[in-house]
Amino acid sequence: MTALLEAQGLTKRYGDQTVVDDLDLRCDAGEVLGLLGPNGAGKTTTLRMLYGFATPDGGRIRYEGRDFGELRTELKRFVGVCTQEDTLDYDFDVRQNLRVYASYFRPRVPELEARVDELLEQFGLARFAGMSPHALSGGYKRRLLIARSIVHRPKILYLDEPTTGLDPAARVDVWELTDQLRRAGMGVILTTHYMDEAERLSDRLLVLQKGKQVASGATQAILDELLGDHVLVLRADDPAREAFEAAVAAHGLRPRRVLHELHVPVDAGGLAALSAALPEMRLTVRPPTLDDLFLALAHEEPA
Amino acid sequence: MSVAGDLLAFGDWRSLAVLRRNALVYFRNWKTAFLPPAMEPVVFFLAFGLGLSGYVGGLDWEGERLSYTAFVAPGLIAYTAFGTPYYEALYSAYVRMFFQKTWDGILATQVELPHLVWGEVLWAAARGFMNTAIVCVVLAGFDAAGAVDLHTAQLFWMPPLAFLAGLAFAAFALIFTALVPAIDHMNYPVFLLGIPLSLISNTYFPLETERPWLRALIDVNPLYHLAETCRWLLVRGEPGPHLGPLALTAGVLLLVSIVLAMRLTARRVLG
Repeated sequence: MTALLEAQGLTKRYGDQTVVDDLDLRCDAGEVLGLLGPNGAGKTTTLRMLYGFATPDGGRIRYEGRDFGELRTELKRFVGVCTQEDTLDYDFDVRQNLRVYASYFRPRVPELEARVDELLEQFGLARFAGMSPHALSGGYKRRLLIARSIVHRPKILYLDEPTTGLDPAARVDVWELTDQLRRAGMGVILTTHYMDEAERLSDRLLVLQKGKQVASGATQAILDELLGDHVLVLRADDPAREAFEAAVAAHGLRPRRVLHELHVPVDAGGLAALSAALPEMRLTVRPPTLDDLFLALAHEEPA
Repeated sequence: MSVAGDLLAFGDWRSLAVLRRNALVYFRNWKTAFLPPAMEPVVFFLAFGLGLSGYVGGLDWEGERLSYTAFVAPGLIAYTAFGTPYYEALYSAYVRMFFQKTWDGILATQVELPHLVWGEVLWAAARGFMNTAIVCVVLAGFDAAGAVDLHTAQLFWMPPLAFLAGLAFAAFALIFTALVPAIDHMNYPVFLLGIPLSLISNTYFPLETERPWLRALIDVNPLYHLAETCRWLLVRGEPGPHLGPLALTAGVLLLVSIVLAMRLTARRVLG
């Protein structure tokens, strides 16, 4: 089946720094692809290349098998973008934000007024329709940004850190709206710093570190691949800490300090070996999470 | 896009969509948008024209004796045709680009950067057209009241002239919009370029110089040719010898500035 979006060898350089390096990705209709990685991993640059804001220095982007470089204007008609920054048009009210944004697309949005009404209802914005976006809370501004980005009925939506700065209730609202769009058959590419968000929303994850892809696939598969099966946890003030660190180092591992604890991701073999080496030690063993992965990536060099 | 493609983007629907967006905002606030440009020429004409003319009396222009009011009226039109698009493309465009992030939102659509730049230039020139039309109505009122003697039928040419020259002034201003790091730095293009340019262009007083470098500077200044063309039309009722140089200097300024403005804006906005 032809992918909704397929990128191959995507590369972007600023000066002598390569910020996205030979990246391949794919997104199908009705799928949420989560782009994950610490600050500077290249998530936003990747998104910007995919929706045409930045020009790649290498690689190809195809929408439904058609080359984005050759059919840029035509294909941008099928792309929706919700940027990380608030780019709402504060010179207009909520309804006009949707109307005016639609005017930046051709072919024109059919039955625009009905479409605007539909979005105002769907996103819970109908009662604010005549108000300035200034009057909206952060959560409702984000709703309006997402509604605006799909006013022209795109097939794929880019959501760049859509819940940053929102309270928990507003975050859940955005998650539900994203899920609605996925169920309606839209492809969604999401970047986020929130691991729970990535895990809940994404069908697949693509993990970036310093512009390179370090893993791709379902959450559990990525955790297994990058972290192993378990995380050993020891309190940092444990009297046996030195012995623990020595045993861990002997297995080529390095504990990571997280507040008052030391964390060490290990596979099943590593767990057995460390248990044998430290028979008296009281260690907590738990499954790895995306937070562990995020912390690992933030502190390690890519392979 | 190629340079030719960038230049041809002015007539694209996307450039017009940006123009339409700015026009919608303007007409939503038409009461506050119309009043200042209507009042400014009244104040200037009263202060410079009627006020100063008592001291200046008349002056020589192209071999004839003119009242100061007749001299300064076309200058006011030329200044409006210059100042409106120049400051619109400096301040208002900067606010849309930097503070409101309006451009970032627009560029996430089918609109590309050349269309955005052309849309801003077209809009700034359109504002020059409108404000010049308002000034013309005011001057027609002064003419009817006997405060100045002009070929009022020629006033109809002023807004189209203002629009065409305004394209060049707006494109020139957008270079600085793309360059200045913060809005406070707008003082440079305003005080070092805008104000001096408006004063050495035969707008408020005639400029006669024997210095070759200053003469050359004046000759390549489209605002000077605009002021003189307006004056020929309104005083003599004919276009005069400055229409050709106006077309040439404004055309060159537009072509050079729009290409430069696009490159610099791309570097600033797209990274």
